[in-house]
Amino acid sequence: MQRIINALVQYRNPIIYILLMVFSILFLSSRSSFHKNKLEHLGFYISSSLYDFSSSINQYFNLKEINEILLKENTRLKSLNLKVNAPFLYNKYLVSHKRFPFLVKDANVIKNSHLNQRNYIIIDKGSENGVKTEMGVITTNGVLGIVKSVSRKYASVISILHKDLKINVRLKNSAAFGSLVWKGKNPREFAIEDVVSSSKLNLGDTIVTGGMSSYFPYGIPLGKISKLENDNNTGYYTLTAELFENPSQIYLGYVIENKFKDEIEFLNKDLK
Amino acid sequence: MNSITIKTFSSFIIFLLLQVFIFNQVNLFGYINPMLYVLFLINYRFDRNQTFFLFLGFFIGFFIDLMSQTGGAHTIASLTVSFLRPLLIRNAFGVISELPKSFKNDPRKLNRILFLFLFILTHHLTYFIVIYFSWDAFLLIISGALITSFFSIILVLPISFISKTSK
Repeated sequence: MQRIINALVQYRNPIIYILLMVFSILFLSSRSSFHKNKLEHLGFYISSSLYDFSSSINQYFNLKEINEILLKENTRLKSLNLKVNAPFLYNKYLVSHKRFPFLVKDANVIKNSHLNQRNYIIIDKGSENGVKTEMGVITTNGVLGIVKSVSRKYASVISILHKDLKINVRLKNSAAFGSLVWKGKNPREFAIEDVVSSSKLNLGDTIVTGGMSSYFPYGIPLGKISKLENDNNTGYYTLTAELFENPSQIYLGYVIENKFKDEIEFLNKDLK
Repeated sequence: MNSITIKTFSSFIIFLLLQVFIFNQVNLFGYINPMLYVLFLINYRFDRNQTFFLFLGFFIGFFIDLMSQTGGAHTIASLTVSFLRPLLIRNAFGVISELPKSFKNDPRKLNRILFLFLFILTHHLTYFIVIYFSWDAFLLIISGALITSFFSIILVLPISFISKTSK
């Protein structure tokens, strides 16, 4: 206590100065509306910048939570987005929209490569999260691959950058079908095989998934035609496509589950 | 009450009245009012109580503001300059073992003029900053402070030297 009093006595002049200054400022603001206005502005500026600072810090600490919320919302939107393309296959006047058989789950890519001819990806969702083999994996703007094997918490995916993986595609503007195969060098350069030369194609046409396999629904945009050659001898086009996204630089994917896959496969087996 | 206190209070009242009724009405070139009352703050003896001086500085500005219907600019300016006076004294007269007992007692003319300049400039600068209180008026603040300081110094300088010789 004695020390506090000593300190007060020692610094009495600055303390008195500050007290009198506060009083003068109050006096000033009570007598002049201009100064009152200015001081209010100043106070508002200081408090708002302080609030700004604290909220930016709070935001930083909430980032993880927000990220998860966004991811969930994205997953939901992705499934809606896929559903939008559905009427082409499942006309809503003929069947109820519950007929759309695909469910979407989000997943993080934890290993990815493009250096081999046959590449595999590992994602951080496994059988605990309901991932099973032969489910499709897509990204924001394309296809990532097909689940090959599943452990409890992880799953390995055959990358689209795999020379033996063929994905059924069609063109957005024409009804031409084909298969998308990686050429093996540039991770964005793909070949489209088996497109009949009678179909009308243009450079820059958009390629979407064909919906003829049980892995992917119709209408996921993949890329566009970058090279076009009509080979009259074979009766097929020689096409090169460029993907919208580089599959080797993906960190976030969505696993899609076809609820009626067993049924389709049962029929397929029957046919054979 | 001893004679010094009586002297202080009487000069307080005289400077206050002079400032309010004469020098605040000058309006040289329309807006320049030399501030004579600064001389009161300058003449206060250097070896007297600084805390008391703070109150004196505050009240002279406060009464001038009250009587001349200005905001609070005189109060803030004279309070600030009173608070800074020990610093200004050290800057003007140097850090020596024997500080002059008052402004009038020091024989060194140059130091006294320097002190006067520093004191009046600080006071006027604070005053004009409070008056305009805006970044946009930066040039107005500087020019107002310099021009008014010039006239205040012209007014204060002879008086301060005369009062010395008369002592």
